[in-house]
Amino acid sequence: MPSDVQVTPVRGAADRTAFIRLPYSLYRDDPNWVPPLEMERRDFLDPKKNPFFDYAEVELFLARRGQDVVGRVAAIKNPRHMEFHGTKEGFFGLFECVNDAGVARALLDAASAWLKARGIDTVLGPANFSSNQDWGLLVEGYESPPALMMPFNPAYYAGLLEACGFTKAKDLWAWELSSSTPPPEKVARIAEKIRKREGVTVRAVNLKDFPAEVARIKEIYNAAWEKNWGFIPFTDREFDHMAKEMKAIVRPELVLIAEVKGEPVAFSMTLPDANPAFKAANGRLTTFGLPMGLLKLVLASRKLKRLRLLTLGIKEGYRRRGLDAILYLDTLRTAKELGYTGGEISWTLEDNHLVNRAIESMGGQRSKTYRVFQRPA
Amino acid sequence: MTVRFSLFIDPHASSSPWVFTRPGNPNLERALHMESGSDHTPRRVRKTTMSDVFDKCRTWKDYRIAKATGLYPYFRAIEASHGATEVEIEGRRVIMVGSNNYLGLSADPRVKEAAIKATEKFGTTCSGSRLLNGTLALHEELEARLAKFLNRESAIVISTGFQTNLALASILGRHDIVFSDRANHASLVDGVRLSFATERKFRHNDMDHLEQLLAAAEPGAGKIIVTDGVFSMEGDVCNLPRIVELSKQYNARVMTDDAHAMGVLGEMGRGTSEYFGLEKDVDLVMGTFSKSFASLGGVLAGPFDVINYIRHKARSVIFSASMTPASIAAALKATEIIESEPQRRARLLDIAEKMHNGFRAMGFDTGVSVTPVVPVHIGDQVKCFRFWRALHEAGVFANPVIPPAVEAGHALIRTSYMATHTDAQLDQVLDTFEKIGRKLNVIPETRPTVYEPVKIARPGSAVRSNKASETWAAGSAGLLADKGFSLDQLSRMSSREMAGKFFDAVEQLTWRAANLQPEDLRRLGGAPKKLWEKRSELGGVLLEKGAQLFMRNGSDGSDGGNQAERN
Repeated sequence: MPSDVQVTPVRGAADRTAFIRLPYSLYRDDPNWVPPLEMERRDFLDPKKNPFFDYAEVELFLARRGQDVVGRVAAIKNPRHMEFHGTKEGFFGLFECVNDAGVARALLDAASAWLKARGIDTVLGPANFSSNQDWGLLVEGYESPPALMMPFNPAYYAGLLEACGFTKAKDLWAWELSSSTPPPEKVARIAEKIRKREGVTVRAVNLKDFPAEVARIKEIYNAAWEKNWGFIPFTDREFDHMAKEMKAIVRPELVLIAEVKGEPVAFSMTLPDANPAFKAANGRLTTFGLPMGLLKLVLASRKLKRLRLLTLGIKEGYRRRGLDAILYLDTLRTAKELGYTGGEISWTLEDNHLVNRAIESMGGQRSKTYRVFQRPA
Repeated sequence: MTVRFSLFIDPHASSSPWVFTRPGNPNLERALHMESGSDHTPRRVRKTTMSDVFDKCRTWKDYRIAKATGLYPYFRAIEASHGATEVEIEGRRVIMVGSNNYLGLSADPRVKEAAIKATEKFGTTCSGSRLLNGTLALHEELEARLAKFLNRESAIVISTGFQTNLALASILGRHDIVFSDRANHASLVDGVRLSFATERKFRHNDMDHLEQLLAAAEPGAGKIIVTDGVFSMEGDVCNLPRIVELSKQYNARVMTDDAHAMGVLGEMGRGTSEYFGLEKDVDLVMGTFSKSFASLGGVLAGPFDVINYIRHKARSVIFSASMTPASIAAALKATEIIESEPQRRARLLDIAEKMHNGFRAMGFDTGVSVTPVVPVHIGDQVKCFRFWRALHEAGVFANPVIPPAVEAGHALIRTSYMATHTDAQLDQVLDTFEKIGRKLNVIPETRPTVYEPVKIARPGSAVRSNKASETWAAGSAGLLADKGFSLDQLSRMSSREMAGKFFDAVEQLTWRAANLQPEDLRRLGGAPKKLWEKRSELGGVLLEKGAQLFMRNGSDGSDGGNQAERN
């Protein structure tokens, strides 16, 4: 480790601002990077605003060489994850670093040490901050920008992590689907058959009844993902917070709830991929006090052409019946009607064969791979 | 002098009640000197407009802004006193932890009785100066009594403590050099300034600096070292043993201002020199009656020749009406009680220890104090005002101390205690501080597991100060300026930085506006009504919010420094 790199925990407003602003300079020349809104990041790191802090402990670290900030990382102790899985796993996240293994090692060692002091034996990551938000390191598919709420990073990060002793824990896949190629005839036929046989009705979410709809989706979500690797259930506050954030960009026609005899049993959520709009805003709503970014954001958000299917969940007992095919098909049809050209389905676990096969059968192509790494603390 | 961003503190105001504390701050002193300097230099007469002496008063905005924002903490009128430990303000009873009535004697029936009797016997005033027609037998009795009490040849009582220090000017000649601690009280600063002597200031309690100055001074000149015994803001004690050593080495006289020490320090309450066992080595001792002595006035004690000279030469003595009969009688009775009831001092120091440790256990920082002066570090100026206000509303009377009386980022709430405070009152004060401290994020949600217990200046212990925490040391050294908001800091910012802050504030506002939810809008609908109901506090809230927005103190969780500490 080069001795000139100083890693210190973030203390005070100036450090925090440096932590938040580092990526904007790091990615300045990367055409595919989508700058997050600085204010959104501030709220995300604000314990008073982000419900994740209700239960988790986070320490932020900055790496400096002289006066220059050259890297950052967050160490995350998530007691709910430990309890749910019965492990002593901790996380690192919000990892950004110049291409220098020494800096990366200094940062990750600081995070590891912090976690180890809190009784953690395995470090997983990157996670920002948990599997319910975005996580994984992009290891394949740098040639296109990331979809909404998916991570992005330079290609050298995987090498840095490996140099620091991290190995693959699990891969997450993103799939590309175009709405112009119609779904295979066979799938469509089967779906229709199931729809009739099971008495499935699919409806769009009703935003006027927002709280009740959120409650329905939450119930399905927490039940459906229970067995997934790395999953932890949302707390009520987290789910409501997320729903509130998504409400701003949601197209209700694309959030579908499948009901059998009036009981909601499955849902799928597709959001317009608002990243081009965020890209246009370039991190700020205002420039010299004028709402230029906001204007660009609003204008660009009217021209969104792509979607991201974030989640599709089916309650236990209704799986393997083809409900997913119905939801995929309906989403695809509506997307086409609304003028979207295509989009991404992400992410799926590499070993969730059931889902991966279903997406493949719909004509999905694997476009990006994200990797969750691990290392003993 | 143009002051662009003067909201609360304006150099013009530095000698006004805005600085109601002892100036311990180089910035302030610089400001004071700047002012005095400009008074002596001939001003250019403005040709175009007529200037009015009163202009500066009319254009002084600080008071109006503070008053309008509901954050004006000064000149609070006390409507009634219940045994001195509780007072009535705006019809409410509040616990008084902001007075210097250390022994609580102002409410003692014997002292009151003595004052009443003296008034009945001699009337309400002496109507004139000690020199001509204002000397009563009582004055002489008190002087004799105090000379005996303080083990001095002679003593003189003067109408106020402030004038007592001004009297010092009479013995300081043109070729004399005064060495004074930078944190000395304003009255000492003025006393020296009224004389023709040269002043050399040393850094607060920095004996190496004092030695440097002594060594550099003209060997043949008359020298005197002047220092506070107990420093009124930080509550630490001067390094008298070293001062005495240096005075012998460099042939200098020593004077201590024992305003906060007399009645408090030492076995018999004779102050700093008794506390260190150095009474023979301190030439002049000054004390006030408005603190432990439950009266008004001051005393200067020392060799007969010196005191006699001051008696006939000091302008603050001969051109001022003498102490009123009631004041003398009260001070006389108080002296008697101070001598005969040492248990009061013991109780006071017990209370000091309890409060220091109580605050420390909660996670507050009480700094270097070893005395019943208990300063509590808050940091940010606006937060300090909010803290003060919350205390006020919760029924606790304490004083906010803000820049420039202290360094930026080192704003304090100063509390001080009386021997007559009951444990129940003290516990209530501690509880209130804990609640507000947590609410305003001054202390963590849970108490720290360990804390450094305080050392108290008990007789014979000879402790001078507690070890300053990192925060405290940084605060005193002026290194916390960027931690909290202060208007002082604002005025030091470059316009580029300021523009950056401003644009960030706009960004933050835009973000909030863009994120308004329907329920927020509904709330905003009710806002005008709520604003009208709260119109008296509106300014304060706006200033707080504006300052927070501007300095990013409020919304990004930087208050605690570390978000992990919340859990």
